Amino acid sequence: MPDVTLTVDGKKLTAPAGTLLIEACKSAGIEIPSFCYYPNLSLQGACRMCLVKIEKMPKLQTACTTVVTEGMIVTSDNEEVRQARKSMVELLLGNHPLDCPVCDAGGECELQDMTFSYGAAESKYMEAKNHKDEQQWSPVVFFDRPRCILCYRCVRVCGEGMDVWALGVQNRGVSSIIAPNKEDHLECEECGMCIDICPVGALTSGAYRYKTRPWEMKHVGTICTHCGDGCKTTLGVRRSDSGMEIVRGDNRDKSGINNDFLCIKGRYAFDFAHHPDRLMQPLIRKNGKLTPANWEEAFELIGKRFAEIRDHDGMIGVVGSSRITNEEAYLLSKFARVVLKTNNVDHHRTADFPALAAALSGKPDSTATMREVYDAPAILLIGNNPTDQHPLLAWQIRNNVRLHRSRLYLINSQTIKLGRQAAGFTQIPAGTEGKVAAYLAGDDAAVEAIITEKNSRETWNALREKLRGEQKLVIIFGSEIRGNDVAVLVKFGSGVHGAKFVCLADYANSRGAADMGLYPDLLPGYHRVADTGKFHDEWTSIPATTGLTLPEMVDAAKASKLKALYVVGANPIGRLGLDPFLFSKTFVVVQEMFLTETAFMADVVLPAANAYEKSGTFTNTCGDLQILKKAGEVTGTKSDFEMIVRIADAMGFDVHKLVPFGAGERTDMGQSRGAQSGEADRHAVWLEARGLEPKMSPLEPTAILDEIQRLVPGYDFSRINLLAGNDQHTTLANSGPGAIQKPELIVPANDNLFSSGTLGRYSKALHSVMESRTQQTSEVAAD
Amino acid sequence: MPVLKNIKAIAKGMSITFMEMFQPTQVENYPDGPGPLRGARFEERYRGMHVLQRDENGLEKCVACFLCAAACPSNCIYIEAAENTETNRVSGAERYAKVYNIDYNRCIFCGYCVEACPTDAITHGHGFELASFNASNLIYRKEQMLAAAPAHMGANAVFNSADVAGGAPALPVQGS
Repeated sequence: MPDVTLTVDGKKLTAPAGTLLIEACKSAGIEIPSFCYYPNLSLQGACRMCLVKIEKMPKLQTACTTVVTEGMIVTSDNEEVRQARKSMVELLLGNHPLDCPVCDAGGECELQDMTFSYGAAESKYMEAKNHKDEQQWSPVVFFDRPRCILCYRCVRVCGEGMDVWALGVQNRGVSSIIAPNKEDHLECEECGMCIDICPVGALTSGAYRYKTRPWEMKHVGTICTHCGDGCKTTLGVRRSDSGMEIVRGDNRDKSGINNDFLCIKGRYAFDFAHHPDRLMQPLIRKNGKLTPANWEEAFELIGKRFAEIRDHDGMIGVVGSSRITNEEAYLLSKFARVVLKTNNVDHHRTADFPALAAALSGKPDSTATMREVYDAPAILLIGNNPTDQHPLLAWQIRNNVRLHRSRLYLINSQTIKLGRQAAGFTQIPAGTEGKVAAYLAGDDAAVEAIITEKNSRETWNALREKLRGEQKLVIIFGSEIRGNDVAVLVKFGSGVHGAKFVCLADYANSRGAADMGLYPDLLPGYHRVADTGKFHDEWTSIPATTGLTLPEMVDAAKASKLKALYVVGANPIGRLGLDPFLFSKTFVVVQEMFLTETAFMADVVLPAANAYEKSGTFTNTCGDLQILKKAGEVTGTKSDFEMIVRIADAMGFDVHKLVPFGAGERTDMGQSRGAQSGEADRHAVWLEARGLEPKMSPLEPTAILDEIQRLVPGYDFSRINLLAGNDQHTTLANSGPGAIQKPELIVPANDNLFSSGTLGRYSKALHSVMESRTQQTSEVAAD
Repeated sequence: MPVLKNIKAIAKGMSITFMEMFQPTQVENYPDGPGPLRGARFEERYRGMHVLQRDENGLEKCVACFLCAAACPSNCIYIEAAENTETNRVSGAERYAKVYNIDYNRCIFCGYCVEACPTDAITHGHGFELASFNASNLIYRKEQMLAAAPAHMGANAVFNSADVAGGAPALPVQGS
């Protein structure tokens, strides 16, 4: 669009035609106060705070609804404007209770700030304030009506942003009130966006209510540990009698890939960290009972038994996790091959990344970032239900369609909520996603399986033609497409100009676990174990034969062949519904936060720290790499990284060969330590950027990051960007050959918005929401 | 005559001395004086140990807004907030201070906390005998600083006295 020139307060500005006056002023550094205006939401013009004087217009105009025009002369700060703003604040405060000392928003309230900057010191109103009691709309949303200034931000973000429409406005004019969609409660996705966006304390969070005040907390921007989308969540951390306590999760730091968005899990489900069942002490099975022990005893026992079994050629299995950091996954992969000398490594697979790596090998720029999903002109989504399983992805798609008029093509066996945004929704019989891929790739015979009453051969033909004609199409597929089907889909994509792929995996670091080679047949970077290459040079002595997959380990245990099992942050017994006595003849070591089904039958249980309590990196399902910052520490737990190193040490292995620390290598001086870090760490970032930082201990995860960057293709990112908290894309273009594995090894987590694997069972917030839902449905049923 | 001048000056000086002998003494006889303060006397404005005040119903005035802690230059105030419930009402507003500690090792008696307090809950009292042989004794808890319940609390202790007359069970005010 052509630029227009306007004058604001005597300053000449140029802005693209169509820009709102308030945005033009903002980019020129002129502040226009406003409540109801929020970027990327529809215009409201409700609060009248942004009034400015525009020449040749008779009255003051709202800057948030006025579009810039050529030659416009604006005054944003004269006596008339100041007086108007003062009166607006006075009106807003007319029935505001002014209970700032008890209000949760006190200290980060926009009305407070505006009153200080633009308001009057005294009010002319003498009338008694009209008090209304606070209402609880859901386990996590409270509404205090007198505090509300009716900016309608919550209504708009819930409707337009989330497409939930759980909030509305009752009555009109002065008696307008914000109200939930179901009489006295909300029926929604409980994302809490309304709370985040509320400029005052009218909507408050049930999880954070009255706990502390914003300035009392330290704010740590880290990555959410639940689904695979990798949202940045800001944890409010406060000193408590057990060290540090996380009291709040929100989206104060909007620098992440999620911008404004955060779902219920990122916002409230950090509370598992403080669950009373949390393990705080190592447990060793003595006389058939798990008894508390100390760390030295535990490491000594594990080291002795593992070394014995390895030296007598006994079979050892290693099960990794999709929630440990990249560094830990890499270290575990290396530990199994180099120290335990086995390829029996596996993890809970929720997506077929090896097949994607195989298909995309040698194809640069063929994976999309999470940010690109928001900008792409067209999106094809096959399978999955992002609204439930990938809330951020759903938000990106929804808002891309709303703001950029992107075309969304949906192919699913069920009617999913994103269908409301879709340009075309094509329902297929369950389990025929692979046939869709084949048909799109040009196999006309495959159409027989996907023709339904609604979708004839002609419909499919038209759809395929339309998709082939798209540019920069982002192809997103769930775990329904796996094995050979991935390669077939990629074949279709290579015929579309600029097509990019996103493979959806369910857990926070599923992609990282796959990239770091937690597979029996693949090393980090999807290199095959049999291939001689740089890993054989660096790691030396990697067993050449393919190891056992998780089901094969279970079979080996049944046949009493599996002598030891090392489980890091996984719960295979609970997840796969196995017989707990299966491993009774196996020496089982479990690193876990809670006494899960797997930990319950283990011989040694080591209490682990979770992702909010350690530093490292996560790679989200799109391949965006981000840094984790340590929010706090729970006494009596250790990070998985430290435990793996300690076990290797206890086995008599030279730790230097496992974690390259010391001369010539880099390590963390605390850049990633979050809340406990201070001014000194900024210098550390500077030193890090220049490779000048001192080299210290084998227990710091960044000690191994160098090796990852050197050896794992796609991970050659900028360290300074990582430490600055930016997301960086890792591609699969140069990765190893990958592998086509058995499709049945992929077991989707099938989590919804309110569940999160084993971890979700220990979150009170998620529970309270689920309970309130079952109550409501049972009430309805009784009616 | 210089001699006479000198005698006159001495007489004038001594007369002031003798006159002052009959004035009440300015020197405190602390700690051997009479009364509970043992002879100590204070100006109104004296900033001594803090007192956490109660309102006319005997409820605590503190609503745990943390402004005192924010204003404190020596960072000596520690608060944990909690929510009032129907059965356990401690303060007049929605929130009260479950824990309120002042570390007198650090407190410099500047009075900023008193100035910051929006509900006049924290005030400086006249308590000054804070010396201790053990530094950990100098962390004062809420219970040690809270003003005594007012004398008329007995009358207000049951809020629903009208209902009680009608046979309803008495609901005592907890925590006051």
